[in-house]
Amino acid sequence: MSTNRIPTGILGLDEMLHGGFLGNTANLVEGAPGTGKSTLGMQFIEHGIAAHNEAGIILTFEEFPEHYYRDAANFGWDFHAHEAANRLRVIMSSPEVTRADMLRLNGQIEMLVHQIEARRVLVDSLSHFERLAESPVELRQTIFEFINGLKRLDLTAVLTRENAALLGELPDVEENLAFVADSYTLLRYVEIQSAVHKALLVLKLRGSDHDKNIRHYEITGQGLVVRSRFEGTRGIMSGTPTMTHAEAFAAAFLPSDKQTG
Amino acid sequence: MPDTDDLATSLMNDMDPRLLELIQTRINSFIKWDLVRFFHENPHTTDTADSIARYTGRDVRTVEPELAQLARDGVLSMESLSGMQVFTLSNDSDTRDLIDSFIHACDDRQFRVKAIYHVIRCLR
Repeated sequence: MSTNRIPTGILGLDEMLHGGFLGNTANLVEGAPGTGKSTLGMQFIEHGIAAHNEAGIILTFEEFPEHYYRDAANFGWDFHAHEAANRLRVIMSSPEVTRADMLRLNGQIEMLVHQIEARRVLVDSLSHFERLAESPVELRQTIFEFINGLKRLDLTAVLTRENAALLGELPDVEENLAFVADSYTLLRYVEIQSAVHKALLVLKLRGSDHDKNIRHYEITGQGLVVRSRFEGTRGIMSGTPTMTHAEAFAAAFLPSDKQTG
Repeated sequence: MPDTDDLATSLMNDMDPRLLELIQTRINSFIKWDLVRFFHENPHTTDTADSIARYTGRDVRTVEPELAQLARDGVLSMESLSGMQVFTLSNDSDTRDLIDSFIHACDDRQFRVKAIYHVIRCLR
């Protein structure tokens, strides 16, 4: 594995990753609907093209390319122009065809990667692969095979995965997928004092140290921005955190202008 | 005095002859029209008839023969991939240019009226 960094361009996240993802790796981003998984992935692709002249590919399953162009435009990213300049390809196919295409020699994806000299890929989302496997072991095998296909093409990948839990305890985290990925980032909704916040945690970054704090993040007009860590609360990733003893004490006994956090 | 049917035909034939031929010989049904538009918007899609039917919101039993005919006519490519029959837009640059011209011509209402006239005639 190379040690070169592939910056995501996401303010705060690159700092957490100590410069970015490692090159030629598969990076899993998991979260509930609306947490910004696809936005994070598109930002990774946009940053590659705009800041590093690294072409990108978006592999989408059952999400029309037009949706990506539209969503990207909302952040000021001109994906149509990138396509026209041969810096981007958005490919929509079913997971079974994508998988078969990756496995064959000189498949269409491989051809397009070579054609535009792509270095980055967004796979949106891995959840669709679940219908190809009848057991967790088979799913792991299928995804492992697919990820190796991406690495063979020397791509650095962001792979999104949907998580149905909006708040509360996470349903069974698919450990098999976390094992095959080189990094694992979790996006969560968090309810604090009747307001919903968004939290980001890098659970794993194989081959490198990283920031283990749980951080606030926002989806702004320019994409994701990762802010400071959560202070004064515990159980953030449960979705319904409680105050730490110190915060609870402060809330109960100190005037509000003396409270921290 | 000319036959009214002949008059209508001559008026409706008033378009780029390449596009007229494309409509009369290859995009000669509304389902094919939809499929061509789909592949024009998604030029990198390779998929099965089942998936393409889902993407276009149609029944696979209706879509599959039309995909096969478009492949025979050179608009699409058809191949076998791991036991699946998959379709993609033809790589031929002349064909792609022609389809591009057709889709852009469809932005014009008058052209669309003429194209619909010819498709209906083909369906008779």
